[in-house]
Amino acid sequence: MFTLENFLFLLQGVPNTLAISFLSFALGFALGIPTAIVKQFSPYGLGHVADAYISVMRGIPVLVIMLLFHFGMAGIIPLFKSAFLSATFALGLRSGAFQSQIFRGAINAVGRQQMMAATSLGMSRWQAFRYVILPQAFIVALPGLGSEIALLIKDSSYAFVLGVLELTKYSDIVRKATRSFLYPYLIAAILYILITFPVANYLDRLGSRLKTKYGLR
Amino acid sequence: MGEVVLACEGLKKRYGDLWVLKGIDFEIEKGQTKVIIGPSGSGKSTFLRLMGLLEPPTEGKIYFEGKDVYGSGLDLNMLRAKIGFVFQEPSLFRHLTALGNVKLGPKVVLKMKDDEAEKRAMEALKTVRLEEWAHHYPAQLSGGQQQRVGIARALAMDPDIILFDEPTASLDIELTWEVIDVMKDLAKRGVTMLVVTHELGFAKEVADEILFMDDGRIIESGPPEELLKNPKTPRAREFLRRLIGGV
Repeated sequence: MFTLENFLFLLQGVPNTLAISFLSFALGFALGIPTAIVKQFSPYGLGHVADAYISVMRGIPVLVIMLLFHFGMAGIIPLFKSAFLSATFALGLRSGAFQSQIFRGAINAVGRQQMMAATSLGMSRWQAFRYVILPQAFIVALPGLGSEIALLIKDSSYAFVLGVLELTKYSDIVRKATRSFLYPYLIAAILYILITFPVANYLDRLGSRLKTKYGLR
Repeated sequence: MGEVVLACEGLKKRYGDLWVLKGIDFEIEKGQTKVIIGPSGSGKSTFLRLMGLLEPPTEGKIYFEGKDVYGSGLDLNMLRAKIGFVFQEPSLFRHLTALGNVKLGPKVVLKMKDDEAEKRAMEALKTVRLEEWAHHYPAQLSGGQQQRVGIARALAMDPDIILFDEPTASLDIELTWEVIDVMKDLAKRGVTMLVVTHELGFAKEVADEILFMDDGRIIESGPPEELLKNPKTPRAREFLRRLIGGV
């Protein structure tokens, strides 16, 4: 029998799901912007490093990165003794590569004319980027960032394999305890939607609203 | 003879295999207004971008106040700050208000304090008669208003010359007038201007000289009354006949 008690127990997985998702998003943001900038300007030929990072992250399943960190590298990097941190860093590293692509696309969408106008005022490339291109690129990037957060919330469920007590793990515990095979996972699925939808939807709508306000395409 | 602000010698520009500019000699003195006309594809916009130091020439030299721009290790950004540029396409910074657009240059490039930059920006907006629109975003302004903000943005840098690249080409006729009126004001106030435009009324009224460009060269130049009434080259004659005839 699946009871209200079971449901409340299952809810205890939500904080960790949220923590992994948002921390990895923040990490991805912190990595994504510099990576996009390095790809744009390629200072000291570093563009290839950014390319390699993106290719590697695109090519490895995030679950394998998590396993690699937690079980393979905990001896070298003590941080990865924590299953929670292994999962968060794995997702964050991948998200950095993905977010850099989102920002790249957004930077290109802002357009060369804006760069030329800034240059004509005597701004350096960096000043133009900082004061003119980047603020507009953020707005263009919002819907893409919404999708990225949704992806992270869902993929945080892989942390279950490392034993992190997040939503999927809790639903599995309830499944074992109650022998109810349908409800624990169904409830988890609904909870994922309830978390994902408002965040992604909010960024989507904020993006469209600001794009209309500023006349961005 | 006044002081020469901007000049070039043997200016050439190539894109791939195509020579867009084939050797241009030019100079403009302080306080002068010069107008460039010519068929599309003649290299007018390219010439202007080169003179605005927005692209380097393939060959030839550009002089700003007598100094060889690319030959003497000058700081290009410093020079660009002294050469205003008004573009054909709308190019206001879309995330900033009219005021934000105009004061960004003084703040970031000239390192002025916020209130100082704002004061200067408001003066520039007043000059283009848009002080009441200071807090509107570009998307809320008409094309003509946007171009006037673009002019104010250039003015606020207190440049030694302003280059205009067909500033009214994408505007309806009534909006064209409001931009042209502002430009006439500037010319009469002694702002040095190099203008690509087909607004011959503007040229007639304020230009010291009209340059006719064709196929990457300036093939004819002279005072407006002379060049517009009695063009010497068949090309200029043909071009003006079509421009005025509207066909």
